[in-house]
Amino acid sequence: MSGSIMQLDNVTTIFGAGSGATVANDRVSLEIAESPPRLLSIVGESGSGKTTAARTLLGLQPPTSGRALWRGKDIYRLSRREMVQFRHEVQAVFQDPYGIYNPFYKINRVFDMTIRKFGLAASRKEREERIREALEVVSLRPHDVLGRYPHQLSGGERQRVMLARAYLLKPKVIVADEAISMLDVAVRAVIMNILIDFKDELGISTVFITHDLSAAYYLGGDIMVMRRGQVVETGDVDTVLKAPSHPYTQLLLESIPSPDPDDRWEIGAGELGTLERQAGVAAQ
Amino acid sequence: MMPATTAETQRAHRQGDAPLLEIENLAIHFRSPKGVARVVDGTTLTIHRNEIVGVAGESGSGKTTLVEALLQIVRFPNRETRGRVMFTTRAGQKVDLMQLGPRQMRRLRLDEIAYVPQGSMNSLNPVVRVGTQIVDGMVDHGVGEREARRRVPGILERVGLEPRVAKLYPHELSGGMKQRVIIAIAISMNPALIIADEPTTALDVNVQRRILETLSRLRDELGVAILMVSHDLPVHAQLVDRVAVMYAGQIVETGDVRSVVKTPLHPYAKGLMQAIPSITKPRERLEGIRGTTPSPFAWPDGCRFHNRCPYAMEVCANVPPFIAGVRAGQRETVDGVMDVQPGREVACHLYPESTPDAEATS
Amino acid sequence: MVFVNLFRESGKFRLGSIITLLLIVLALLHQPLVEWRIGNADPMKVGSFPIFLDPSGEHWLGTDRFGRDVVSLVLIALPISLTVAFLAGAISTTLGVVIGFVSGYKGGRIDAVLRTITDMFIVIPTLPLIIILAANTRNLGSVKLALVLAFFSWPVAARVIRSQVMSLRERPYIELSKMTNLSDREIIFGDILPNMAPYVAIGFAQASVGSAFALVGLTVLGLGPSSQMDLGRIISEALGYGVISLGKELIFVAPVVLLILLFLGLALVSQGMEEFFNPRLRGQV
Repeated sequence: MSGSIMQLDNVTTIFGAGSGATVANDRVSLEIAESPPRLLSIVGESGSGKTTAARTLLGLQPPTSGRALWRGKDIYRLSRREMVQFRHEVQAVFQDPYGIYNPFYKINRVFDMTIRKFGLAASRKEREERIREALEVVSLRPHDVLGRYPHQLSGGERQRVMLARAYLLKPKVIVADEAISMLDVAVRAVIMNILIDFKDELGISTVFITHDLSAAYYLGGDIMVMRRGQVVETGDVDTVLKAPSHPYTQLLLESIPSPDPDDRWEIGAGELGTLERQAGVAAQ
Repeated sequence: MMPATTAETQRAHRQGDAPLLEIENLAIHFRSPKGVARVVDGTTLTIHRNEIVGVAGESGSGKTTLVEALLQIVRFPNRETRGRVMFTTRAGQKVDLMQLGPRQMRRLRLDEIAYVPQGSMNSLNPVVRVGTQIVDGMVDHGVGEREARRRVPGILERVGLEPRVAKLYPHELSGGMKQRVIIAIAISMNPALIIADEPTTALDVNVQRRILETLSRLRDELGVAILMVSHDLPVHAQLVDRVAVMYAGQIVETGDVRSVVKTPLHPYAKGLMQAIPSITKPRERLEGIRGTTPSPFAWPDGCRFHNRCPYAMEVCANVPPFIAGVRAGQRETVDGVMDVQPGREVACHLYPESTPDAEATS
Repeated sequence: MVFVNLFRESGKFRLGSIITLLLIVLALLHQPLVEWRIGNADPMKVGSFPIFLDPSGEHWLGTDRFGRDVVSLVLIALPISLTVAFLAGAISTTLGVVIGFVSGYKGGRIDAVLRTITDMFIVIPTLPLIIILAANTRNLGSVKLALVLAFFSWPVAARVIRSQVMSLRERPYIELSKMTNLSDREIIFGDILPNMAPYVAIGFAQASVGSAFALVGLTVLGLGPSSQMDLGRIISEALGYGVISLGKELIFVAPVVLLILLFLGLALVSQGMEEFFNPRLRGQV
């Protein structure tokens, strides 16, 4: 198992019990190697289990069966010390750039806590230097964010602060769960560009959870399509999107609204719901 | 470019002589201890019968406030509204929506104008059967209960639901089905106009596609006009006839959706188009639009976009451009020399039509 | 900082806190004020003045059937009523916060047990129990009385705090703190508690109102502390002697007005805070 940073091995996660039980993840496996770094998009609609997979990777959702491994060790059986190391190497960017900040504190706390808990700076001067550097990487000026409250920043700025925080730790893997879905169109690319640069320049891998196939395409790298807890297709994003092998991927692909008004869907093309039936999802 | 179909030409013809809703210089301001928030400022937009008009813009552009204020769903004590919103009623009468009292407004709502607010699919009453919720709306507007019940299956069918759905409770429905029920309620009184705020946001992509198809079908079958608000330009590209791009409380560009998307005139509109990743385009780095949306408490002077605009000139920081029709034909645009279609409007100093006369400003 | 904004934005909170503060100031200054009105005389002493005097420059509200100056009586009664109300409010809020916090944060079996106890206390008819307890307690002073009242009023606070903790526990920022390796203790004191402050304050205001109400209920029935004069007892004594038929309503109008002000002040404070902190009540923009 050497060379593997993160691995999901046949992970099955079931919520609830009895007749009301939901299988959120059904024998999901994936692996992120130490090198080369990689961009992996997990794509699926609501209820596909993509967020559960992300939370399992982050150590926030213990699986019902199967194993979630970090450097070959079970993430859910780490010692205190290993846990610190694990969090240092595996970090998260969450969906909601609003709720992720405790409204009670200024933005600085996010950096201060991270630096303190992971012992990233020996002196006050070093701490400030580190924060300044991290903000620079995400193109934020310190006086735009430091000393301010979260509600005074825009969604894009808040998400960039989260990336700057991750940068402080120089993790091996960032798990980004729908990190752009609540942002304005104009800043989505900015966030994805930062993740691409992290990979190219710092060797940080990203697991990018999204419902948006075009975002996965833009990011590049690999793609894993999930439906109802199962992985239905995986591979290089260009190959998968050019020639999807699973009808569900096909359906997702054809459902992307084209930004070109000359490329409109034909209304009532084929029998309504045929694609959905083939793909095994509700036509409504 | 694709030639317009006969149906489209006919529609365009009908649109030409029948304005349904005319928003004239509408301004919506909120007073608060922090000052005055000029959330919507001098907006002019016309929706014709049987036309689908889209309002595009990012969060904070004022698009939701605009449509919310049209029907005065919520009457904020600290809200000030200026301008007129002329609506042509079924009886052919023109009324100013801003002057209507709550009772007259309630009569107009659903009957002639239906409003589908953002996230309304989660506002269905969880303990009442779907059919009854549709009936209740009609009964409120003077339809007899028996007659209303008789109409339900037909209405459901129109929005692509089976009649048996009437007997179900909201929790038994998927998100897409709930949204269809909301649309069913909206069309139950056969209104002339549906105002829909982000009708497909938070839905899965295939469901979004089906809902957009349904809306498009309703326009063809019922002759209804639709005013749709969405942050998502591809959604506009798929559904609307004309689109209005809002920025910082103002409409900065309007026109036929095809020409706005293909040859945007306003730098902001261009930036928005370019920020969208598309799987049909080769993968190249997108830069988005630099800077952030300003606050409605302090819009920038001059053109409100000038400090984010790559084309900004000296005049932009001082003189606000006004929205004006631009001369059609071959001309210089933000994208180089393009063929500009008739019926385009833009508020940008790159087009002399938008700049007030020198004598007038000095 | 939050409370400054609250004071600036909520008219209810502003009015409520001003009324409450005025009452507190009045209570704090009762000694000099009594002295100013009746000199060194003991306001409780029977027969200091002629009985049932009409209001005059000397006795603004007249005297009662024992010849006591009504203004002075009200002045010494106010601090007692306030002390009992605020003390009971404080004890009950502390109990409620601790129990609600443990219940909401720990969850599981501990929560189930604590919730059952809380619900039991909410369901049992408290006033009869308080009456029985009060009637059978020796040397009932303000502190004991406050304890008795608090013992029955903490469950409401506990419930509110519990549901708040449960909702705060699920906030994304708690998750971020976990990703940053913060300990449970750091999360409770750093992330959850500061955001609870408004709810604790609301709980305190509500518990104080409740206790003030219960106290009046007790003393009007004649079950209050026998050695002390509080606003309820003035009313009780006045009504017991039938002052209305004698045309001397002023004797109990004064304490009633003060009580109404107290309820109004605290209720406005708590309503103002609820509207401010509860976004659903607050409306948009």
